Amino acid sequence: MRVALGIFSIVTLFLTTACGGSTDVVKSGTYTGTVDEVEAEKSEIYVKTDEGQKLELYFTDKTELTKNGEAAEFSALEEGQKVEVEVKKVGKRLDPLTVDIKE
Amino acid sequence: METLPSIWRTEVLHALSVHLPLTSLILATLFFLTALVVKKSWISKASGALLIIGTIGAWISMLTGDAADGIVSRSLCDPTVLKAHENFATITTILFTVASVIYILSSFIDWSLRLKIVFKVIISLLLITGTAFLMYVGHLGASLVYQQGAGTYQPSEDCSEY
Repeated sequence: MRVALGIFSIVTLFLTTACGGSTDVVKSGTYTGTVDEVEAEKSEIYVKTDEGQKLELYFTDKTELTKNGEAAEFSALEEGQKVEVEVKKVGKRLDPLTVDIKE
Repeated sequence: METLPSIWRTEVLHALSVHLPLTSLILATLFFLTALVVKKSWISKASGALLIIGTIGAWISMLTGDAADGIVSRSLCDPTVLKAHENFATITTILFTVASVIYILSSFIDWSLRLKIVFKVIISLLLITGTAFLMYVGHLGASLVYQQGAGTYQPSEDCSEY
């Protein structure tokens, strides 16, 4: 019985900690940070801000992507890049207006 | 004039695929717990079949859900609910997968009686926890559809497309 409870506890503890990647909702504004994850097929990126928040950003038709100030394709985005993003908070959704790759 | 969108569009495939695992996994749990008390082999076998069908269905739902995510996220007012829905769905699917693997191992290998009892206890705990998570995942999914209109089509005011 102790073995069963032990295995069960380990499985559930592992799952609740490993699968709990939550994101933050911030006010409209400009933030700098690092690209944490790129999901190309969804045109989506996760940005870890310098303040420690994790932003989930789905690119829209209006999102302007630049690299050092010049227009760039989505494929230019890579994990670990420094970025400056301007987001608009709509409800609890963050629409990226501009994303500038800084390196 | 507007045209009626296809029922087979990507974001609707998730709604079409979630209900089989939902019912299968809840019934698998009920059957498994019943089989602990009522010693009828068909109840135990039915539980195993439902568990395996439901687990396969849960993985398919994860795939269709992931595909729907990329489409509906841009129109949601609160995508944090979608994130929670995805996270809890992942935990739920893994719990039932672990339960399925242990069920298969305990059914097809001749273990000692003591180990068989340990397996039954673990499976019971996994199924009960999994079902609790499953109900919460369903609640979050319903919230996405009925409070935020995720993946739904809004007919025109004069219904001219019908």
